[in-house]
Amino acid sequence: MGALSQLGAAALRVCEPTSLLLMIAGVAVGIIFGSIPGLSASMAVALFLPLTFSMSSSLGMNVLVAVYIGGISGGLISAILLNMPGTASSIATTFDGYPMAQKGEAMRALGVGIVFSFLGSIFSFVILTFFAPWLADVALKFSFPDNFGICFFALTMVAILSSGNMVKGLLAGMLGLVFALVGLAPIDGTARFTFGIPEMRGGFNTLTTLIGIFAVADILVSAETIGAGIKTIPVKKVKGFGFSIAELFKWTPGAIRAALIGTGIGILPGIGGSTSGMLAYVTAKNMSSHPETYGQGDPEGIVATECANNATIGGALIPLLVLGIPGDGVTAMMLGGFLIHGLSAGPLLFVKNADVVYGIFAACMICALIMLIVEWTCIKAFVQVLKVPKHILLPLILVLCAVGAYATNNRIFDVQSIVVFGVIGYLYHKFKLPTTPFVLCFLIGRMTEEYLRRGLQRFKTFGAFFNRPIFCVFFGIAVAVILWSVYKEFKASRAAKTQHEIIQEPTPINIDIENPDK
Amino acid sequence: MFFRKYGDIIVGIFYSALGAAVIYLAQQLPKSRVMKIGPDFMPMVIGTLILVLALMLLFSSIKNFKANAAKAEAMPADTSDYKRVLASLVLVVIYVNILAPVGFILSTLGYLFLQIFVLSPNDRRSPKNLLTYAIIDVVFVFVVFFLFRYGFKIVLPSGIFSL
Repeated sequence: MGALSQLGAAALRVCEPTSLLLMIAGVAVGIIFGSIPGLSASMAVALFLPLTFSMSSSLGMNVLVAVYIGGISGGLISAILLNMPGTASSIATTFDGYPMAQKGEAMRALGVGIVFSFLGSIFSFVILTFFAPWLADVALKFSFPDNFGICFFALTMVAILSSGNMVKGLLAGMLGLVFALVGLAPIDGTARFTFGIPEMRGGFNTLTTLIGIFAVADILVSAETIGAGIKTIPVKKVKGFGFSIAELFKWTPGAIRAALIGTGIGILPGIGGSTSGMLAYVTAKNMSSHPETYGQGDPEGIVATECANNATIGGALIPLLVLGIPGDGVTAMMLGGFLIHGLSAGPLLFVKNADVVYGIFAACMICALIMLIVEWTCIKAFVQVLKVPKHILLPLILVLCAVGAYATNNRIFDVQSIVVFGVIGYLYHKFKLPTTPFVLCFLIGRMTEEYLRRGLQRFKTFGAFFNRPIFCVFFGIAVAVILWSVYKEFKASRAAKTQHEIIQEPTPINIDIENPDK
Repeated sequence: MFFRKYGDIIVGIFYSALGAAVIYLAQQLPKSRVMKIGPDFMPMVIGTLILVLALMLLFSSIKNFKANAAKAEAMPADTSDYKRVLASLVLVVIYVNILAPVGFILSTLGYLFLQIFVLSPNDRRSPKNLLTYAIIDVVFVFVVFFLFRYGFKIVLPSGIFSL
């Protein structure tokens, strides 16, 4: 088979000592950027871009791939150890990773995360290598209404995430949507909710929002109880990766599902890894036979998120290589890399520069392996972070976050806005509002509106959206999710009510019917 | 205590006001002349949803207020240390605002030390501890500065003196 032999030849080229060393360095720097909240994978790629000037085109691209892979998977380290996602992709890793670390299972959580990051990447690279041109055709079939369907579907995940107290969960998410509205409206560029402040026209940055909600709020929340004394978290030593072969087999179906979600989301330009991790997590929780353990430190939650967010890399490379369309910030940087080396990404790349393309495929797989080895050997070093007392660690992280927020756009406004989101995060904690819906809505809100309006611009009426099968599928699932969640909530509150009639104690659970499909 | 007893009502009131404000501001936005839904459409939908949900929360929490209040009274008192919270917040606000004019090195040297001091438990504030904090502070600031400046090529605000 042509593809296999080309891949083999490329793998041999990639394994030359210089290229291998550069790739190890790239992965390591990527991991550092990924693991520090405030520094992102796209920043790491931007940093390496000029360094590849003097390299051959193939080697240059391989190094960029290495940085990208390291940057996405590095996010899990801080997510598990510090409850702060290093990148937006690993938000959902905090849900189960941090509780596990608190229980003393930090090493096990890291082991699970690293292995399934690796497996997720490999899965998507295999798909990338063998099905790229065909999948790119499928991606082209997705138009604005279909993307709107997916975004709308992702928004309904809020209903599932906030089961138990749905009204508050939905309200928590709504504030995220309001913040997503700030700035210039899509298409016509009308300034909305900017209150005449010029900096607000650009809207709030995703990274600064995350930093505020997680890092700044964490300082304020910890300040409440930190005076009571220092707690050290025990770290249980584990052998190997911390899980057994039997567990690996048990998790495999979930991992494959997550990897499929991740690759699928990655292929669609403009949706991105942060959504894929979250979607995979909620899907896993919903399809699990024990959803109540999710969020309490269930390794399956980490499996779903990490598999999905790493699988997004392979997915995102498909439209980039085949069509020359970058799906997110990182792949846009990579496209810059192509231009520097005189390569034009697109259909002709496979014909003219097949050696570079297969070099990238081979580099992807080898970098995933390097990532696995580097992170695994460093697990012991990573968990040392837990030994640093919190009152010293948190301020240090905050400084790094502030610097990262500044470095993103060189705007001091971004640094200032982390305080706003920090206060929101703290108040959410005080009023028992969940922060996840806020983050999810903020991430997806702007996209949802843009795709809806672009779709309407092209198809004139909303009714015309229903002529598109892809849209219908996602919209249908979304409506079903809403109805099902409302029904479950209603049933739960009924059960609670009958119970309270027996023990004569009223219940605080609320019922609501939401109908967002206007 | 306060948050447990009145929390949901305050949340309800806040969101009702927010919903109303969003609807009001959305009405001020220009309508689109070329297509049916303009820049005011999404804010309108979101504002309406917020208002409906908030009123629902407000209604149900007022209805269940007595029972919830009794429950809140029964719970152990809130021992949160609001002095430390407030001090930390003030420090962060000052820090992000002086970062650009004063520069990264000076503002961070000051902020980091004070923040560690504020967060440190009372029994960790001996002169020896403070010296440790100061050393961590200085080393960290310069490592970050040089790493970003020369390693990552990210120029941090230099402020009143440049390096």
